[in-house]
Amino acid sequence: MSTDPPTTAAWLDGNAIAGLLAELFGTEMTTAERACASCGARRAVGAHRLYRGAGMVLRCPACDDVAMTIAMSEERRLVTMRGRWTFELGA
Amino acid sequence: MRETIDETASARTLVLDVPWSGHRAGQHVDVRLTAEDGYQAERSYSIASAPEDPALQLTVERIDDGEVSPWLTEEARAGDQFEVRGPIGGHFSWRVEDGGPLFLVAGGSGLVPLMSMLRHRANRGATEIDARLLLSARTIDDVIYRDELMGLGTGGGAHLAITLTRAQPDGWQGYGRRIDAEMLAEVGSSPSEAPRVFVCGPTAFVESAADMLVALGHDPRAIHAERFGPTGG
Repeated sequence: MSTDPPTTAAWLDGNAIAGLLAELFGTEMTTAERACASCGARRAVGAHRLYRGAGMVLRCPACDDVAMTIAMSEERRLVTMRGRWTFELGA
Repeated sequence: MRETIDETASARTLVLDVPWSGHRAGQHVDVRLTAEDGYQAERSYSIASAPEDPALQLTVERIDDGEVSPWLTEEARAGDQFEVRGPIGGHFSWRVEDGGPLFLVAGGSGLVPLMSMLRHRANRGATEIDARLLLSARTIDDVIYRDELMGLGTGGGAHLAITLTRAQPDGWQGYGRRIDAEMLAEVGSSPSEAPRVFVCGPTAFVESAADMLVALGHDPRAIHAERFGPTGG
């Protein structure tokens, strides 16, 4: 894999921000499962679609509903989440 | 960095000493380069070596207008140091303990993380696990790890199929067209055997391969995909 600078033209996989998610949550997140609030599909975070622009948006791979947004500035990260997320902390 | 190995005209393997070991095959690292003025550029690169290998290997494809890959593939020398964060990602990863069958589909340098899986399987002597690789490359000279792949196929019990989409050498026995559903059905294990499927390559390649795999009856949740993005870097 090799990733590229922010683009709005295409999407990547949740895997691509595994490093950022691990930094935010302190644990490996791509194997965590999310049940979509819109369509109910249960998929691994790593299998969600990642859209990158000024921030990051993760979307459900089944229905495209927004799963997570991450807005980033130099010092801060603002995270919103939708759906039912299941992950283990302190693992 | 311990040494570099040229794989093709545009791909180079970097052998690194890192203070950790025991990644999972398929994982990646984030490489961060910092210029003298403080400007930073970060890219992700798949790990090519198996968890059992003594040093960490990344294989980097040079993107001519990229910010990071030209330095890594042309300028970096043994003894250089740079920042590496990892190993990262659990979703696109495989261990012998996860079992098989294993069906790997690679476009170009998308072979890198899948090679880590094949090397891991070979190192552990897990030849009982059915493993199949379908690799799409433009020409035979674009195939990275060519000699090692042939060895894994003949001696390691893995089933390898290569399709060359742009030009084929004289007497070529493999495929000579873009990956299609017929090819995926011929090379891969049947959906009824519930293979673990890993697809890696450029976005459009992964997109079309994953769609065809689902149409063939593979469980979308068993298909693990990793897309490069439109240009790389």
